[in-house]
Amino acid sequence: MESLEEVFQYQLVIRRQTVAQETIEVPLVGKVLKVNVNPGDRVKEGDEICIIESMKMENSILTPVSGAVKEVKVTSGQVVKAGETIAVIEY
Amino acid sequence: MAEWHEYPGGVYKTKEDLYRELKERQEKITQMGDPKILEKRRQTGQLNARERLEYLFDGGDYTEIGMHIKHRTVHFGMDKAWVPAEGVITAFGKVNGRWVVSFSEDFSSMAGTFGEYHGKKETYAIQFAMEKGLPVIGMNDSGGARLHEGMDTLEAYGWLFRMQDLASGVIPQIALLLGPCLGGQAYHPIMQDFLIQARNTGFMGIAGPAFVKTQIGEEISLEELSGWKAHAVKSGQTHVLAEDDKDVINKAKELLAFFPSNNREKPPRIKTEDPPDRLAKELDGIVPDEPFKPFDMKKVITVVVDDGYFFETLGLYARHLITGFARFNGRPVGIVANQPMQAAGMLDINASDKGARFIRFCDLFNIPLVTLVDCPGYIIGSQADWAGILRHGAKMLYAWSDATVPLISIIVRKSYAGAHYGMLDKSIGADFVFAWPTARITIVGADTAASVIFAREIRESENPEETRRKRIREYSEIYENPYVSAERGYTDDVIMPHDTRKYINQALNLLENKFVTPGTCPWKVWRKYSNINL
Repeated sequence: MESLEEVFQYQLVIRRQTVAQETIEVPLVGKVLKVNVNPGDRVKEGDEICIIESMKMENSILTPVSGAVKEVKVTSGQVVKAGETIAVIEY
Repeated sequence: MAEWHEYPGGVYKTKEDLYRELKERQEKITQMGDPKILEKRRQTGQLNARERLEYLFDGGDYTEIGMHIKHRTVHFGMDKAWVPAEGVITAFGKVNGRWVVSFSEDFSSMAGTFGEYHGKKETYAIQFAMEKGLPVIGMNDSGGARLHEGMDTLEAYGWLFRMQDLASGVIPQIALLLGPCLGGQAYHPIMQDFLIQARNTGFMGIAGPAFVKTQIGEEISLEELSGWKAHAVKSGQTHVLAEDDKDVINKAKELLAFFPSNNREKPPRIKTEDPPDRLAKELDGIVPDEPFKPFDMKKVITVVVDDGYFFETLGLYARHLITGFARFNGRPVGIVANQPMQAAGMLDINASDKGARFIRFCDLFNIPLVTLVDCPGYIIGSQADWAGILRHGAKMLYAWSDATVPLISIIVRKSYAGAHYGMLDKSIGADFVFAWPTARITIVGADTAASVIFAREIRESENPEETRRKRIREYSEIYENPYVSAERGYTDDVIMPHDTRKYINQALNLLENKFVTPGTCPWKVWRKYSNINL
């Protein structure tokens, strides 16, 4: 159960981050077929970051945000598990 | 001030004074609590508790119940505390012409904190709604438990949770998360059927950041811990995300329009101009030739339903399974569909949880279900197995088997293995199964089958790769089609994609009076409930 002060705080705190990060995670276990981006690349929302082959499908992994690719954690041919980081996008 | 008049038997006031006293009490209560909080709300554009009720009910017109209810605590200054309406306004009125019960927590009235009588008001509102067969809309905006009342507060939570459960499946319950809702209190919106969260002002969690920091040492902001991303994306507890108070209430009305007022009624049918037998030519080209290429199942949905109108629930969570409401020939239906654009459209733990609860809601409220299937199966591998995919995946099987509403399955492409019944087929209870010519209905994909059945032959062959390809092709030609299933009668018919709407509407016409209860059919015997794998 919460203290009143804490609940009041929520109205006062307006966080404004200048740089936000989006971590793109592996949605399902599978094999990375192809990686389309490198660190430093600019990407637009909806661009394909990589393809993961799994469950009889070529799964396109798209970026939900536009920004700059900060990190790429997978390479082609690698077997990945759900929840692993594919890439980090700064926006 | 009213004046007491004496008479030998005691004292009395004049009628004029008594009437004025009522008016004064009403005015004081409806002015609500802390003016500073009310003013802050006005500045930030948030509605206050009474404005929300006015916005919800037709013409701003509602009847309040329990306005004068007051706590009975004396400790810690509570005897002098002014808590108008006990921090929650309970009311009934009409929403789009239909009676609805609602309660709206008032943050200006002692921060909308939940005490014994606050809880009693909410519990009574739900009981009242259940007995009268009316939907409930709860508006959450509360500082949490009123600790001043100790055990009495704790007990009231129990009353509320129990009443919510008793009303669950009798009347639809919609929770609106418009302010904070932290602590044990958060079980309250969670136990309702659907939760709509305001993007920047709705916060929910089992404990807020201060508690988390002192108890387990984790440092995290309220926004990150309890905000919209936490629940609409990560935890799968916010069914619909909305922008602000008005948007939340609008979406609640939109959602409510699909539901009957209680489980004894059929969902309200509306008039539509969209012809029930409209041919949808655009569907004929939608499935790619290559079975490993994705396509957008949402397009299929919006093409087949009335006027392209689809109200998605949990749209940001487990996106490989689409759930939501639409209408066919004016009849509300629940849609469960695989999304091959996301994670192959497979069924995993989150998708199974999402799908099963949706199916059970529709079944409770007599809403027919239509599935659109392109599913390679339940997810496999150590990660999934160790996390309990079997027991979670079983929820879908239980949900379909228990369902008594009209059940229609459209197999668009893959329907393999467990996903065949996980996404509804005849064996698990479907009334109708129709398949597109692109359907591939069989126990496993050809490559898997060939590698099992012909493993030895391939290994010992002079040219293993060629043998493998030959056997895969053979298996695929024999089994990866809709006709084997249709030959056995497991699929009722193979239809052209453009006829899908017509077939669904015809099926719904025929199933209009489907009625299955214990006593009406031999396989439904009395029991408390099935032991679904929770």
